[in-house]
Amino acid sequence: MTAPRWFVPASWAGAVAASLGVALLLLPGVVWAALGLELVALAFWLWARSLPDRSEQLARWAWLRRPPTALWLAAALFLALPELRHVLAPVPLPPADATFSPPALQAAPPPMARDPMLLLRTMSSLAILWAGLELMAALPLSRPFPDLTGPARPVGAWLTALLPVTGFLVLWRQAGLWATAPLAREIATLALMVAVVLASLRAYGRRSLTASLRWLVVYDSALASMLVARDVLPGGIAALLWLGAAGGRLISLAAELRGKAARRGPGLTRLWRLAGWAAGTSLAWPLLNEMGFGGGRFHPLEFGVLAVPVTLANALWLKRVVEAPERRAMARPEDRSPRVSRLGAVATLLAGPLALAWAWWQGFEVSWPGALFAFVPPALAWWPVRRLAPAPGSPPGAPLPGGTRDFALSTFRAVTLIERQLAAAIGGVARALGAPARDLHSGDAQEYLLFLVGVAVLALLLPVLR
Amino acid sequence: MNVALLPPWVAGLAPLAALAAAMLVRRAHVRHVEPQPWWDAAFVALTIVPLAAVVAWPGALTPARAALAAGLSVALLAHDPRDLPQTEVALKITWVLAGAFALSWAGDALLALASGSARPREQWPALALALDPYALWSAALSLSLLAGLVLLGGAPFHFWPADLFHGARPHLAPFVAATLQLAGAAWLLRHLDGIASFPTAAQLVRSLLTLAAAVALAGGAATLGYQWRPERRVGALVSLQGGLVLASLAAAPMRIPFAGYGGLAAWAGHLVLAATGASLLSHFLPAAAGPAERPSVLFRRHPWTGAVGGYALLSLAGAPGTPGMFVWLDAARTLADLRHPGLLLGVVLAWLAAFGVAANEIRRGFGAPDGSPAPARSVPRSLRAALWAVGAALLGLLALWMRRT
Repeated sequence: MTAPRWFVPASWAGAVAASLGVALLLLPGVVWAALGLELVALAFWLWARSLPDRSEQLARWAWLRRPPTALWLAAALFLALPELRHVLAPVPLPPADATFSPPALQAAPPPMARDPMLLLRTMSSLAILWAGLELMAALPLSRPFPDLTGPARPVGAWLTALLPVTGFLVLWRQAGLWATAPLAREIATLALMVAVVLASLRAYGRRSLTASLRWLVVYDSALASMLVARDVLPGGIAALLWLGAAGGRLISLAAELRGKAARRGPGLTRLWRLAGWAAGTSLAWPLLNEMGFGGGRFHPLEFGVLAVPVTLANALWLKRVVEAPERRAMARPEDRSPRVSRLGAVATLLAGPLALAWAWWQGFEVSWPGALFAFVPPALAWWPVRRLAPAPGSPPGAPLPGGTRDFALSTFRAVTLIERQLAAAIGGVARALGAPARDLHSGDAQEYLLFLVGVAVLALLLPVLR
Repeated sequence: MNVALLPPWVAGLAPLAALAAAMLVRRAHVRHVEPQPWWDAAFVALTIVPLAAVVAWPGALTPARAALAAGLSVALLAHDPRDLPQTEVALKITWVLAGAFALSWAGDALLALASGSARPREQWPALALALDPYALWSAALSLSLLAGLVLLGGAPFHFWPADLFHGARPHLAPFVAATLQLAGAAWLLRHLDGIASFPTAAQLVRSLLTLAAAVALAGGAATLGYQWRPERRVGALVSLQGGLVLASLAAAPMRIPFAGYGGLAAWAGHLVLAATGASLLSHFLPAAAGPAERPSVLFRRHPWTGAVGGYALLSLAGAPGTPGMFVWLDAARTLADLRHPGLLLGVVLAWLAAFGVAANEIRRGFGAPDGSPAPARSVPRSLRAALWAVGAALLGLLALWMRRT
């Protein structure tokens, strides 16, 4: 009952909580997912409260309790309601060899008449979707977080990239619970499309490579979540494609923070450039095919909206991953960073194509025109590399005059400003509606008695008015 | 009471553990004043025994005994005129309860006048003959239920639990709250006895209770964030427990709430334990400090004891992994089984608000370490022992409920 003799540093406690949280997200149950996100939020809180600027950090990461709260809402509804499958499961199809018989035409009752709990079931599914989207910066309230470094000093710049990872894991592992709800796929597709566009713009607008890489992790996670939401590929294959793309960015981000280990030497730089492009292309290609050529016809709007960020993100990767200037006359022989980095690059290079091969083995098919057209946007990314390559003597990542970066920056800022103002307006209305509750919680004895008399009069009138 | 899932003696264990904790708390408060602190603590604990008996055997409560239990609670609150905050709470509760009982007794008298009997079971068949005007018996029925609603403490009557935990001493407030809320539940159940024989009245009662439960849950959740002191937040959480009873009754007016987990006795046992721990903890929580403030003495000198207190607070809020979770889940499942989606949504939203506020309180309690040395003065040992006793009893209850389900 006295103070413990042993003391766990906040950094270690946070690391354990975050690791355990991410591990729990891999389990299928929504309760485990809620607990996992709660642990991730706890980790950020532990890290934030141990910093000198704790006040600012605690306020900055306070929103991290919202996603687990949304998952707790879903978990509570799933626990309280009877079996989900009776309402949200697809209609069972007859066996393939059965004789075809036309369905009997009869008026179906409205969904709420079939099951009064349908609204709550839909709400629980949307709560899971909310949690995943918010962690991927796909909702206005949390949009700018990848710009910030995390609250743990040595790995802070890398830590923020953990959050879109958790967002994807939530959407992927709980897809069976949310993707079948009414409107969930449509809402998810819309929010993720906006997130993909904004993430690629923001990644392009940032000068720092570490910040750009964080936004590219958001971009990859949003693309992979769209694969899950639209059921383009089986979940395991979508996860493997995501692992190749986002995992490659995370490795290169870690390498960037450890002496730019991914950009040491021309050979390693070229390998990383190719690996990132291959992984990103493998992730985007099936989605471009589905969005552009799904249902047997061409959808120019969807294809165009997705093709632009895909081209931009791939071009950005090819442009930014340039050889770092070597300041040391001789490399330390005990330095194993280049070897580890090469290993990461090879894994990144192989993951995407192997996942696509696995998908093909499992029966994934695309039409030839669709396959070719879907390959064009990522292939176009090679073209501006030579034009946008920095001139000799200029620092890498320097903006071109009158550049597109300003356009990307101002577009992102305008959209987020509008979103923030909308959210603030909604919050203001909610506060105004809830303001009377502030006066309900205290008073003196005379007021209580008057209140009681008022309620008694109401009780007398209610049955008569009924 | 339905205690089929629990042995009868279990219902008495929780109030016993809470009683032991109350004695320890009292011992911590009087050690510098009284010459015989343990004797004083034991004597005070003896005065709470009748309330503990009510918590252990709520089935014995009739409307008259419920009024008596409420009177005893007020008397215990008002016994020490030197304790001004507690006396003020007694005054406020008396003021409200006297009015509520008067109105309800007027309703009872009107019902008796209309039906020719003072027994609820005999009143409904007589009223079903439709010899009396609807306005008369419906108004009388509404009034007769009012005392039960006030005693349960759900919003808009959630002011008295908040006042109680703010002003009364921590060893007494949980017992008074549990006794009054049990009295409210017993009041409603006894008044609705046999109402199934008059479907129109049953329908009216269901509508009234649904409205009351919706207001209790929504109002309780909305005002939880507006409470400005930790003690009042504990009171608001206790008022939400009253809202849960109301929600269960609204779904099934003639069924004893929480029957699957031992009925009202087990519910009140959990309530008194969790409220004791939460009430003790609330005295160590910062009233207005931000999240970046340094922690209070309990969390700096005895962080594990603080964590145990946090567990009690979380259990009161129904957080996962606590026995309180089963109470909330039972209410939610009752509403789901009987197709009350609106109230179910209210229960879930109130649960989220309660869980969020409890988690935030614990975070504020642990605060942010600023590197300064821990204060020299420690928290009294008996107070810490009380928190551990409550924590152990809650864990026992959790194990029991988990095994039984």
